[in-house]
Amino acid sequence: MVAEARTYTRSLARRRRALYISSPIGLGHAQRDVAIADELRKLHPDLQIDWLAQHPVTAVLETRGEHIHPLSDELASESAHITAESSGHDLNAFQAIRRMDEILVNNFMVFQDAVEEGEYDIVVGDEAWDVDHYLHEHPELKRTAFAWMTDFVGWLPMPEGGDREAYLTADYNAEMIEHVERFPRVRDRAIFVGEPDDIVPDDFGPGLPQIRDWTEQHYQFSGYITGFDPTPLIEGRDALRRELGYRPDERVVVVTVGGSGVGEPLLRRVIASYPEAARRVNGLRMIVVAGPRIDPASLGATPGVEVRAYVPNLYQHLAACDLAVVQGGLTTTMELAAARRPFLYFPLRNHFEQNRHVRQRLARYGAGRYMDYDASPREVIAQAIAEEIDRPVDYRPVESDGAARAAALIAPLI
Amino acid sequence: MRCGGGPMGTVLAPDVQPVDTTRARRPDASGFIGRDGVRVFWERYGDGSPTVLLMPTWSIFHSRHWKLQIPYLSRLFRVVTFDGRGNGRSDRPAESDAYADTEYVADALAVLDAIGTDQAVVVGLSMGAGYALRLAAEHPDRILGAVFIGASVPILDRPSLEPEIQVDPSFGEPQTDDPDWGKYNADYWRRDFPGFAAWFVGEKIFTEPHSTKPIEDGVGWTLQTDADTLVTVEYGAYMWPPGDWERVPGEGRAIPFARRVRCPALVIHGDDDHISRLAVGERLARELRAPLLTIAGGGHAPQARWPVIVNRAIRDFIRSLPEASNDGR
Repeated sequence: MVAEARTYTRSLARRRRALYISSPIGLGHAQRDVAIADELRKLHPDLQIDWLAQHPVTAVLETRGEHIHPLSDELASESAHITAESSGHDLNAFQAIRRMDEILVNNFMVFQDAVEEGEYDIVVGDEAWDVDHYLHEHPELKRTAFAWMTDFVGWLPMPEGGDREAYLTADYNAEMIEHVERFPRVRDRAIFVGEPDDIVPDDFGPGLPQIRDWTEQHYQFSGYITGFDPTPLIEGRDALRRELGYRPDERVVVVTVGGSGVGEPLLRRVIASYPEAARRVNGLRMIVVAGPRIDPASLGATPGVEVRAYVPNLYQHLAACDLAVVQGGLTTTMELAAARRPFLYFPLRNHFEQNRHVRQRLARYGAGRYMDYDASPREVIAQAIAEEIDRPVDYRPVESDGAARAAALIAPLI
Repeated sequence: MRCGGGPMGTVLAPDVQPVDTTRARRPDASGFIGRDGVRVFWERYGDGSPTVLLMPTWSIFHSRHWKLQIPYLSRLFRVVTFDGRGNGRSDRPAESDAYADTEYVADALAVLDAIGTDQAVVVGLSMGAGYALRLAAEHPDRILGAVFIGASVPILDRPSLEPEIQVDPSFGEPQTDDPDWGKYNADYWRRDFPGFAAWFVGEKIFTEPHSTKPIEDGVGWTLQTDADTLVTVEYGAYMWPPGDWERVPGEGRAIPFARRVRCPALVIHGDDDHISRLAVGERLARELRAPLLTIAGGGHAPQARWPVIVNRAIRDFIRSLPEASNDGR
């Protein structure tokens, strides 16, 4: 009987292995990460990818038969924390992530165990805040190449947070800058998912660099990564509408707040705007997707409004609709921009990423209409629906080669 | 509310709340032990082996000061914590005698009994290191190993042979406006407890840059107790050897405890500790014949500011114990 068995594989006999961490915050990273993974496999056909992932990312991975690292079960839930931090149409994203310190330490310790047990060539971290932060705090723990990705750079204060939040965001930014500049060896690649023009025109805080200047110096750019090719959706829209049961004379509005429990007040308010909107728009049909965490019955029944708990292939409905009403999250709004549909977006109050970074990016594409939730009672929403539903779409096209560009930046490290 | 004089105090004070947001790990069991009418709240996590007892510290903090250790250690071992008397969900008795280190040691034994644990590895921070030291010295049959972090124990030689006192008389007298250690004063605590919390946690415990979150946590925990309780705690007997133990004149009174410890030990200490200087950790390690892990550039609470390194050090220490070599993953 062997008391303890261990295998050491000589280096040239090793298969290429990657540990991929896809952020579960914001629900949108899984799609782009599997697209990057597919592109990486094209470049390295022998590449084995283990995913250190949690819900809801695992839901996407499982349907694709991706290999989920068993230690994933030990991860503490980031999305549950974010949901717990939100209330109504409000989420202070900076403070929520800051108050997630306990979860981030736990998840870094899990990550480090996974890395030390496996013979990985590379770690790919898509907004894996814990991995990036603690590897910079303890660079001696780095065991593999590390490719870091993000779609925004810089914690930004929201006005409601006052001087205190301005001080804290600047302090977090300063620490990040000191880390990166002192230990350039930690991030072998830093990939900004977007283009330089997507970067906000702000500085990191008093006495700190301009975010754009610094990011251009320290990142490479992949362009946006939708994770899907919108062309068939755009070209096949008429057929798609027929398939989904949308008549040509109907004007379909799809209302969704994604899979989180955040956003019920927005759904209620948009539902309440329906009678007025229907007076202004002939043939208006409103479909409200409650999602898994909101009880459709709790939203009440309004004639003309269909409330559904779940819609399979929601992206098809978003591509087929005449107008979408959504929160300000990057993934959904950029899917709409890529599918070239008109939309209203309501960033969550105190959510710096949605209000500052995402808004900046959507403005560059000329996509969507920004709506201030607090300044948008039902009649304002009804009017906006009427104004936007027929607006010609002249968005800047969303790039479709982002995943391949990101993979081309990562592949040489493997 | 404005706390303290530094920029950190000004900035951190307004929003300091005793928040307990989503935990990374929930306890598997919890309860109270009662001794002499004082109730003490404990929590147990995980089912590995051995048991790791994370001791309470001075009553400015409660057991959440281990929040960055519990999730990791409970994956490997069985972890038990309890709120020390004077904070958290434990009682706040009105008599100083109830805050003697012997009471914390007795609470620890009662908690171990309550969860059915004969032996544990004990880990203590600051004054909690003193409680852990007394526990290990007096109850060697219950303690497999001991980790002392930022130990705040009277172990250095005393320059004079005058009778030793625990609390300087000036502590209880109204102070003038010494902006620094003048704030370690009963009168000041009663006048401006938040100011004391911001100064002590924000300027003395965490000396490292970019420590806003642990400072905010620490101030929040401190504000869960109050000045009168903390003054009462201050007069609780701490680290007085039993009268029948042999002592060398001039030696710190923690030394007889350290010399009685039979289990393996580890000392972790920051070299920028403004509460208990590194010399204390060095002397403790020497007396224990234990390894010393110095956190260079580190302050008084490395478990909160450098959790990754501390977690790994505790793990490696426990795995090195002969009794535990085949336990834990």
